[in-house]
Amino acid sequence: MLNRIKNLKWHQWLVLLVFILAVVVTGFFAVSTIRRAVYWRNHRDEPIRPWMSVRYVSRSYRVPPHVLYQAIGLAPVAHDRRPLREIAREQNRPAEDLIKELQDAIVHARPPYPPPPPPHQSDGGPPP
Amino acid sequence: MSLSDYLLSTLGVYGLPVLFATLFIGCIGVPMPASLLLLAAGSFTEQGEMSLWPVLALSAAGAIVGDNVGYALGRWGGRRVSGLLSRMVGGDERLKEAEAWLNRRQGAAVFFSRWLLTPLGPVVNLTSGLTGYSWPRFLVYDVLGELLWVALYVMLGRFFSDRVQEMGELLGDFVWMIVGLVVALVLGWKLLQYFRARSPEAPKAKKPRPLVDEAS
Repeated sequence: MLNRIKNLKWHQWLVLLVFILAVVVTGFFAVSTIRRAVYWRNHRDEPIRPWMSVRYVSRSYRVPPHVLYQAIGLAPVAHDRRPLREIAREQNRPAEDLIKELQDAIVHARPPYPPPPPPHQSDGGPPP
Repeated sequence: MSLSDYLLSTLGVYGLPVLFATLFIGCIGVPMPASLLLLAAGSFTEQGEMSLWPVLALSAAGAIVGDNVGYALGRWGGRRVSGLLSRMVGGDERLKEAEAWLNRRQGAAVFFSRWLLTPLGPVVNLTSGLTGYSWPRFLVYDVLGELLWVALYVMLGRFFSDRVQEMGELLGDFVWMIVGLVVALVLGWKLLQYFRARSPEAPKAKKPRPLVDEAS
């Protein structure tokens, strides 16, 4: 086998090299795909990004839109496709500020997660 | 700010023209987050911010026109232009590999590089033109493949309308994995032939298949 590899011509070497590269690339992206799929299964919320609109965030986090609009000091707008970046520009502040306020509003609009454990029951019977 | 963030923002503000332009430019061969934009447009249609049919029609039109510009560049632009573009899309090896692949199954190559092996699309357009592949056939496979791609991604965007960004990243990695796998299989098969041709127990009368360089 080694002897045969040594006898390869230059363009065959090139094919071998690209082959190895393709195997490495396949492995890399296979691992990455699996990692993302596992993450996908375990996490439902996707991080808020400046391109998202308020309505997209409200949908993604399953929080009513008016709660989010209120949090950033706006009246709810129907069919509002403005990205957060655009709203931040109108309000003269960085998009990160806006995102932080939305995150706070989402945390407060949802039931605590994970839910609190059931009341302590050490002896099995109800407390007197 | 990344290009995809910027384009997704402008998609929200300007809608369909951004979609058409991105798919058009992306299909010519300039790296564009076209798949992500299709997913986002799908999500917008689900939320009632965009209408489904115009999204499908404009996206498919942008992609098909872009592909045909790529084909025309390959056909009439000559080797020099395609050499320049091949450097832009990833080098001569990729161009040659796609060409060798095309010589055998051109229709399938055009069809599958539209929706599954999408990173190879621009290279296949150029080589289809360069190798003089029949334009009506190219157009038929191109239209079929692009319609499938656009419908598939817009529907995925509608279905996972709350997680577009993550869906886009997952699909992007998956597509590159498939591209790597196909290239590895094709080259692995070629290597196997080299080794078989050189082994002493191989029948002498059997002529080895032409190599990539000789085919071009």
